[in-house]
Amino acid sequence: MMSIIHTRLMHWKKHWISHLFWFLLPILATVCMIQITNVVQEDSKIPIGMVVKEDSELANSLLETMKSSPLLRVYELSESEARSQIESHELDSAFIIEDGYEAKILHGSRNRLITSYQSNLSFAYTPIREMLISYVQQDTGKVKAAHTITDLQERLQPEAMVSFDEIIAKTNEIQAQENLLATTFSSYNDEGVGMKNDISILNTWGLWAIFSILSTLLLTDWLIKERRPGLMPRFAFMRFTYKNYAIQNLGFYVIAFLLFDGLSIVVFKQLLSESIDFNLIGAIISFRILISTSAFLLALLFKNSYFYYSVSFILVLFLIILSGAILPIDGLTKRFPWLLDANPIQPFLDQTFWNPWLLVPLALVSIWIAKGEKLNA
Amino acid sequence: MLKVQSITKSYGKKLILNQISFSVQPGEIIGLVGENGAGKSTLLNILATLASPTNGNIVLYEKSYREKRKEVRKQIGYVPQDIAIWEEFSVEENMVFFEKLSWKRRSKQELQQLCLDMELDKWKEPVKTLSGGMKRKLNMAISLIHEPDLLLLDEPTVGIDLKSRKEIGNHLKNLAIKENKMIMYTSHDMDEISTLCDSIICIGEDPFYKNLLKEANKQIVTF
Repeated sequence: MMSIIHTRLMHWKKHWISHLFWFLLPILATVCMIQITNVVQEDSKIPIGMVVKEDSELANSLLETMKSSPLLRVYELSESEARSQIESHELDSAFIIEDGYEAKILHGSRNRLITSYQSNLSFAYTPIREMLISYVQQDTGKVKAAHTITDLQERLQPEAMVSFDEIIAKTNEIQAQENLLATTFSSYNDEGVGMKNDISILNTWGLWAIFSILSTLLLTDWLIKERRPGLMPRFAFMRFTYKNYAIQNLGFYVIAFLLFDGLSIVVFKQLLSESIDFNLIGAIISFRILISTSAFLLALLFKNSYFYYSVSFILVLFLIILSGAILPIDGLTKRFPWLLDANPIQPFLDQTFWNPWLLVPLALVSIWIAKGEKLNA
Repeated sequence: MLKVQSITKSYGKKLILNQISFSVQPGEIIGLVGENGAGKSTLLNILATLASPTNGNIVLYEKSYREKRKEVRKQIGYVPQDIAIWEEFSVEENMVFFEKLSWKRRSKQELQQLCLDMELDKWKEPVKTLSGGMKRKLNMAISLIHEPDLLLLDEPTVGIDLKSRKEIGNHLKNLAIKENKMIMYTSHDMDEISTLCDSIICIGEDPFYKNLLKEANKQIVTF
């Protein structure tokens, strides 16, 4: 094996820049795409101004609720700043929580709680206003319910009185527990899919999987370049048969790829806050063996590198569309559930070590080895 | 020594080689001539273990090709007609690369000496900058790394200048005389063949080659 490593490193030394680029491509491209998407996502948030004229619990709570919306970028400003930025179209719209907001809510008054500003270019004013009104109505509804309950208690059970504040606190508690706008839907025994504020459009490991497939395919071109007609007879007079040489090189490539995969885990944890667990590591190892052996088998079918590259790019494009690694295919898989089983990338996306598709390339490679050498005529 | 005993080779119903027998002694150079398609390369491939004869047997130093192919291969050096080297490597890197995959461990000095013996002195030069003759010499040097007893060359001097041709010829003579190697090679150059070879094997029915060979004062075997 040491001789094989030595000869492979001699080849790598000649093309170290391109090799390093392709080995690092899954990490660099994934980080870049995730960061760019996050920046675009952040830039696409609608900027609004919030002016809070009183320092009360309800007013601050409304401000925090608006800030937590994933679609808004909320700036806390003074009224004059808000008006000036609306005039210069830096803000889409501005909303003022007027002085006496909490008192009016507690007394059930719904008039002149919020004042708003918009310009002729405020495209999102109406939906944001409706959203804000719904939050205010939520508060007024809670207060109204609490008043009703205390009134009923005074008439029916004066000895078991619950205070107004206790009712509001209980309402908030129930709302936090059962908030339909942010609930997690799940079926029995399933881990729910929750809505987070930091929703990312792209799946980091899905993206990495696609770039890994591309880099693995392109780095496996050594098999085509080195399978030259003049060179093949030489292997009959060497310590290694050609198949032995090719398989040992495949093994060395898998090890090298796994080192860079390990680097991917560390980089994604540091830069993208991805979690690390044994399931992920197992899934990466099995996925790496699957794609390396598959690329090896594919490369064996070609004699022309450029034709092989074309097929590789088409294959990757096909996987982008149909694997669900980047583009969601929920609609397709709901209609044709067998697609999930037929998708060789699915076990990796589910982060499971066992991938039944792994048996296919391993069996084919074994058959290829068992068939023996042509030169052993 | 190499003993070839009544070998025949046929592809389907087409008979390519018919009852060929000869022997090669250590230190002997044998030329293989004949028109295109006569079966020279087929015979060379059979002698190199890259193809099997339909009938007959070959023995190299008491080792039968049929029974001990792997052992026999360790004693054969094969120089393919296509130049089988890495263009992006230097001469040194090519020699080291193939030494790593070879049966025999050789030091860098030994590898460089192998090249110098062939008057290939551009040790550090990238192969892509070398002339055709230099590349042919490197192609041959690689086949000698594991010190084979039998050297088989498929048109080793095709397409190269006269100087390189002469240098390769001289080296083959040295290998036969000084190192007692058995050498067999194919060529279309009758002058080269008649100058270099101790015996000539002519394959095929073409009278042109047979008439040319009569002029050469050599032992000639025809099939």
